[in-house]
Amino acid sequence: MDIVVHEADPDVAVLECSGRLNMVSAPTFRETVARVVDNGRSHVVVELSGVEFMDSSGLGALVGCLKTARQSGGDLRIAAPSDQVEMVLKLSNMDKILRTYPDGDAAVTDWG
Amino acid sequence: MSAAVGGHSLDLSCPPDDVTAVHTFLEHVWGTEPSVSAEDRMALELALVELASNVIEHGATGTGVSCTLRLDVGADAVEANLVDDGVPVPVDPSAARLPDALAESGRGLALVQMVVDDLQYERVGDHNRWTVRRGRH
Repeated sequence: MDIVVHEADPDVAVLECSGRLNMVSAPTFRETVARVVDNGRSHVVVELSGVEFMDSSGLGALVGCLKTARQSGGDLRIAAPSDQVEMVLKLSNMDKILRTYPDGDAAVTDWG
Repeated sequence: MSAAVGGHSLDLSCPPDDVTAVHTFLEHVWGTEPSVSAEDRMALELALVELASNVIEHGATGTGVSCTLRLDVGADAVEANLVDDGVPVPVDPSAARLPDALAESGRGLALVQMVVDDLQYERVGDHNRWTVRRGRH
């Protein structure tokens, strides 16, 4: 998968992801979020419109990154999930845990 | 080697192969089976990548693991099986349940259960055999 990090605000980052979030890419995804949070951006938006496939390894990585962000006083939100990602979020009931926004801009608006 | 109409197969040797090969294989299968609906493709890709991930993560011996994925696209259902030479699986896949919301693993087989009509696991000789069946929608 490809991850482009947009440093939106001093404590906000939007990660524009594309490709597959599975057991192959999950370690890189976790490392990328950990680095962003370490560098002071603990409010993380994961933009998923370009992610055509996510599985339980990807979900596990999102949960791990949610914890990483919260431990640093921030949070993690997801934006623009594709149909496949939405299916996996709903089946796993994770749509209740990971707040989902229509796009990256909407996800960052109430983080001042 | 099966010559059944609608039959497809993939051999994997991990490492160096990983689940990318399963995604690529399925793209090819869907290309030759255009009648399989988008919903069925999504469900089967999730189920088969989850099963292959489990085999690679938990089945590997010191030298890795080899497996064969076979997929049969029938008029009413798609059936697939994954046979690997890994260690025996100490779980009952039919008892798979979603873990706590903040767990970082353990959802794979529960998700597979949700997107197929039937999931079976058997130990056959020194191989594991996973079988899934999904009625076509």
